[in-house]
Amino acid sequence: MATSPSDWSEKSRELAALLARAGLGDRAAFARLYDRTSPHLFAVVLRINRDRAQAEDVLQEVYVNVWRAAQGFDAAQSQPLTWLTSIARNRAIDSLRRKQAEPPVRPAARNDDEEHDVYDDLADTAPGPLALLGRASDARALSHCMEGLSGPQRQSVALAFYDGLTHAEVAEQMRQPLGTVKSWVRRALQALKSCLESAVVRDVSAGNS
Amino acid sequence: MDYSRRELADRLAAEYAAGTLRGGARRRFESLLTAHPALRSAVRAWQHRLMPLTGVLVLEAPPPAVWQRIQARIGGDVAKAVGWWARLSVWRGLTAAATVATLALGVLLALPEAARPPVVVVLAAADGSASPSSFVAGISADGRALVTRPVTPVALQADRALELWSLPAKGAPKSLGLISADAATVLRKGKVPEDTAALAVSLEPTGGSPTGAPTGPVLFVGKL
Repeated sequence: MATSPSDWSEKSRELAALLARAGLGDRAAFARLYDRTSPHLFAVVLRINRDRAQAEDVLQEVYVNVWRAAQGFDAAQSQPLTWLTSIARNRAIDSLRRKQAEPPVRPAARNDDEEHDVYDDLADTAPGPLALLGRASDARALSHCMEGLSGPQRQSVALAFYDGLTHAEVAEQMRQPLGTVKSWVRRALQALKSCLESAVVRDVSAGNS
Repeated sequence: MDYSRRELADRLAAEYAAGTLRGGARRRFESLLTAHPALRSAVRAWQHRLMPLTGVLVLEAPPPAVWQRIQARIGGDVAKAVGWWARLSVWRGLTAAATVATLALGVLLALPEAARPPVVVVLAAADGSASPSSFVAGISADGRALVTRPVTPVALQADRALELWSLPAKGAPKSLGLISADAATVLRKGKVPEDTAALAVSLEPTGGSPTGAPTGPVLFVGKL
């Protein structure tokens, strides 16, 4: 379902070439791949697992894994950064499972303002998940996809996706029943999918089918 | 649960990519992925949709110690593989070509850097165009195994094939064999000539050049 490589950005092509070389044992290419991609993957991991020492361990595992699996990267199937980001997110989510300590307690929303992003209450300078989703929507011209969703629906998917919260954790944080939160997340994902559908259909027909 | 049901598969793939599928359900889903291509493609589609949303995260360079630990780890891997090449020659007589190919790839991948690093060459479009296609080739340090792989698959007419050539500094190109346009190819017919200055890929009729010299246009070229 990737876009056809001929439509790729310069960066995607460069990363694909570095991955292909790394797959043949080229360490210099692998080092360059690390330089180009590790700040992004570290941000992805750290967002989900905020324990820095653990996040560093996760990142290490991710790249050892990439070195071993680089040969299996298939440019016809995935874009390089999507492939790498997926590996990093998987590892980060798995690291939460093994975590002994519970994730730090986050203050619940203090009012019923649907658009209110609870993270804005924190002294933390990192943007909240809802703000991130908003920026991502703007950047990818998806704002209209999000318009049909209520504030809580948007917030539930943002908490789950960016911060790696489970349905139960999202429900707790938003003080909503689990079933409600599950259907909110599902709705939000479906909205995103239908919004991108036309683009995806175009990709598929242009792909290597 | 019937995982072949399209709608359910898509919903699970969405939850997997979004990260809300957790614990035992996540493990079970992962174990199903290997056997179900439809699930895999549903997951890829969702990753393709969702991963770009991480593009707004503020970049954060990891501390240098992380890279040092990674290097130590991947260095450790290759130390174990010393001597694979010798074992490969035994395997050659015993196993099918596909197995040998896999082993040869493993050898190239696993060659220790300090002792015998493979030479990796990038073959770019010969006409200097910004074509997205290119090939990478890895030559084992002893010159006996050569692996090629397209960075992105090359579209080819049914009656055409790609042939790999060794170009010496002077003299005529020498054929190294036909290579796949969309997958890795392992060539192990004798040694790659020592005077090889560059590798080139030409477009030839099916079966390869009838004359022993490149007859079609040279599509990709890379200097050693």
